[in-house]
Amino acid sequence: MTPELTIALLAAAVQSGTPILYATLGEIFTERAGVLNLGVEGIMLIGALAGFIVAKTTGVPVYGLLAGGLCGALLAAVHGLVCLVFQGNQVVSGLALTILGTGLSSFWGTAFIGQRTVGFEKLPLPLLSEIPVLGDIFFQHDPLIYLSYLLAPLMWAFLRYTRWGLGLRAVGESPAAAAAAGLRVLAYRWAGVLVGGVLMGFGGAYLSLAYTHLWTNGLSAGRGWIAVALVIFTFWRPGRAILGAYLFGGVMAFQLRLQAMGTTLPSSLLLMLPYSLTIAVLVFSSWRGRGSEAPAALGVNIEPRE
Amino acid sequence: MRLRVTKRQEPLGWGACLVFFGALAFSLGVSAALLALQGKPAFIGIRLLFEGAFGSRWAIEDCLLKAVPIFLCALGVAVAFRLQIWNLGAEGQFALGAIGASWAALTFPALPGGYLLPLMFLAAALAGGLWGLVPAVLKLGLRVNEIIVTLMLNYIGILILEYKVYGAWKDPGSFGFPMTREFPAAAIVGNIGATRLNWGLLVCLGCGAAIALFLGRTRLGYELKASGENIRAARYARLPYGRLVLLVMALSGALAGWAGCLEASGSLHRLQPTIMAGYGYTAIVVAWLARLNPLNIGIAALLLAGLRVGVENLQLDLQVPAAFGQIMEGLILLTVLAGNFFKDYRLRWRAPDDA
Amino acid sequence: MRRWLPILLIIALMTAGTLPAAEKELKVGFVYVSPIGDAGWSYAHDLGRQHIAALPGVQTAYVEAVPEGADAERVILNMARKNFDIIFATSFGYMDPMLKVAKQFPKTVFMHCSGFKLHQNMGNYFGRMYQARYLSGMVAGAMTQKKILGYVAAFPIPEVIRGINAFTLGAQAVAPDVQVRVVWTKTWYDPATEKEAAKSLLDVGADVIAQHQDSPGPQEAAQEAGAYAIGYNSDMTAFAPKAHLVAPVWNWGPYYEQIVNEVRDGSWKSRSDWYGMEKGIVALSPMTDLVPRAVQDMVLAKKAEILAGTAAVFEGPVSDQTGTLRIAAGESASDEALLGMNWFVQGVVGTTE
Repeated sequence: MTPELTIALLAAAVQSGTPILYATLGEIFTERAGVLNLGVEGIMLIGALAGFIVAKTTGVPVYGLLAGGLCGALLAAVHGLVCLVFQGNQVVSGLALTILGTGLSSFWGTAFIGQRTVGFEKLPLPLLSEIPVLGDIFFQHDPLIYLSYLLAPLMWAFLRYTRWGLGLRAVGESPAAAAAAGLRVLAYRWAGVLVGGVLMGFGGAYLSLAYTHLWTNGLSAGRGWIAVALVIFTFWRPGRAILGAYLFGGVMAFQLRLQAMGTTLPSSLLLMLPYSLTIAVLVFSSWRGRGSEAPAALGVNIEPRE
Repeated sequence: MRLRVTKRQEPLGWGACLVFFGALAFSLGVSAALLALQGKPAFIGIRLLFEGAFGSRWAIEDCLLKAVPIFLCALGVAVAFRLQIWNLGAEGQFALGAIGASWAALTFPALPGGYLLPLMFLAAALAGGLWGLVPAVLKLGLRVNEIIVTLMLNYIGILILEYKVYGAWKDPGSFGFPMTREFPAAAIVGNIGATRLNWGLLVCLGCGAAIALFLGRTRLGYELKASGENIRAARYARLPYGRLVLLVMALSGALAGWAGCLEASGSLHRLQPTIMAGYGYTAIVVAWLARLNPLNIGIAALLLAGLRVGVENLQLDLQVPAAFGQIMEGLILLTVLAGNFFKDYRLRWRAPDDA
Repeated sequence: MRRWLPILLIIALMTAGTLPAAEKELKVGFVYVSPIGDAGWSYAHDLGRQHIAALPGVQTAYVEAVPEGADAERVILNMARKNFDIIFATSFGYMDPMLKVAKQFPKTVFMHCSGFKLHQNMGNYFGRMYQARYLSGMVAGAMTQKKILGYVAAFPIPEVIRGINAFTLGAQAVAPDVQVRVVWTKTWYDPATEKEAAKSLLDVGADVIAQHQDSPGPQEAAQEAGAYAIGYNSDMTAFAPKAHLVAPVWNWGPYYEQIVNEVRDGSWKSRSDWYGMEKGIVALSPMTDLVPRAVQDMVLAKKAEILAGTAAVFEGPVSDQTGTLRIAAGESASDEALLGMNWFVQGVVGTTE
């Protein structure tokens, strides 16, 4: 691995990890409010399709991004409806959402395969992109990646220092205590679900608007599930999400580069790397005893009051 | 005047059935609307769906054939769900089972059927069971969440299948396409009479009955049910939670493994990547819809198998995209989940100051 | 005169009513292994279907994303039961299911793509895509400066391996010391993975990217890096106008029309058809302006030779990656050897697994 190849790999890791980063941040936000949303994969796909269609029809990539976020929130709202209002089991509802989202995106998206949209192009930042090594890795990407750099610290600050952030966390830790303190628990949970949905939609839209300018059925290829796993790895902290997302993006990019360099390892084994790494990461997190850092009321539905 | 929600003293019993059919009808309605949006005739579409699924003897045979793997996987998943263990790994356990069965069939081709078939089933159960034990051990030893582990093991299991089939097990006569040699006749689960159904149906009936007996009549089964309902109380009562977890996941994996074995042996007569048809995921939907009861699992498995078969008819006659079936599966599950609300709660109009 | 009018009218109506009955309406069914929207293999077959659907008296239908095995058997069986006259199955794995059904429905014509089993009412067909690949390799060999070509490939099956070999041989005919690096994506249509694969090839120094993939992902990657790209299945200029050079494409329409006509006039016989560029099943899309005139002329000249039969793609001496001679000097590889090709020629860097 020459230095140039290593830098190229790290830059590719950032690019490849960005959709995972958006989705992970979204899921962190939702889980912090106490709601488990396993439908990330389905939401990402709907976001990707919506972004693709809108950007293609309007010719403005930003509209596509916004549409992706909006549709992501809409699908997440279904999960909210089933769990927060109808007391449906959160695990099963999330799974059903994945099936539904995948099905809907394939159903409507089949007509768009093989077409191209306008999207976000590379935008090297002046001055910053000229820093040796770091500039190549971090500052020669498209605007959505730059946005994600800001998003993680923003979320961290929000959760830690703002009144609403603290309220959200309280609701996730102990809804009963939060309600006693006068917080509107249901409102916070809905906010968690919807904002999470928007971010997951952004993650999906990134795939069809920036990473490529194309659409296919199943574009996210399992990244949604990796995001769910990463939330545990990051101990529900947005800061670590960046590390985790780029690590996974790197692994996905790495196995391809290994082939390009001429390895004799069968590709089936190389393809196992991201998934094996996910398990390893989970084992490591639990072994360090941090699995219990989850919001205490995660996944528990709140019974409606009489 | 506003809507008030009150918890029922007792959950509706027969209401569960009503909820289920209501949800089904709602999903059909939404799906029909989707068809209409695409410009396809909605009523004809739904009729084609039913015709394709149950409209002829061949269709019913096809449904039964498809229902076999779904049923076995769902049975396993349901057993795990009873203990509140989220086994989403039926797909990977299915793959491992198929690999195990293929290993037996390809390594001992000369064994007579009386020995080879049981060996294949044994190998499939061991392989699938092992794949189910991994997340169980991690959960017990390190408190690792089984949802993610089982899901990741799905992907890894399928890749292991591909690795064998593209590599050491590839049939030299297949012109380089990824598939194993055709299994020897002794390794194939035969057809029932002149129909296209195979004896896997009997395996399903046997397993269903056995699990029903196990859950309902044995002490271990009782402990399972009790632990599932309240884990803390169960632990306090010194029920062997750890052992139950291991048992349940091994059983779950073994059942899914048998599904894989039957598909490889009875349906495909060889191992190839296209054996993976998403039965493991449909099984999760079935297990949940059927409220974890073996008889209901059979019915639900048949229904969802019918959905898959019926959707093909839709494709052929109306050129509806293949993903339509997935949409219906997702919708049915979501509406049933939401509908169950009415089983436990009731809505009433009340004046604000009414108690 | 007036008395004759009603009789004339009736006669006119009767003749008008019987005329269309002379053309028999043919029902033709297609079974695809992937969604037609993949803009690739199944899409190309579907274009062929649309071609014959436009013919008078031909009704077509298709089922997409049919897994090989029991599902395929059921789909083909259903088509046969619905009295389809011709059924085309477009994937190798459909061979055994199709044969099973063919034996039960002797009146229906079954056509299997990329297989080798025959029956009295079942034939098979394929196209010599490697001819077009060879020519595209020549273009790549002429345009590369770093002498490293990248190939984004889907699955290690013979037709893909054959295509890579043909591509390499073509490039080596123009630039003997050229190297072809292969990355397997294990997917037919996944723009994200395929683009990443192309980027990894670009990172190791490739300056021309070719693909046996159905998405334009690799084309995008090439353009972003300022490299060249060879497409597949369709002219991909729209996706990468600054990079796209040429693309080998399928063209099933004329073949399907030929089969429809044969069945209609009763002259169809079961056989193995492996047609090439001479029948138009396989073609090279027009080379873009990025390719210099001199190179275009050279490639077209070679194309003419192949069409005329004076040159073959897999002509010896050809050695594999380990140096063993696989095709002797002066000999041409047999169809059998080509159909089961599972080794790479020298100059290819990559595994066949």
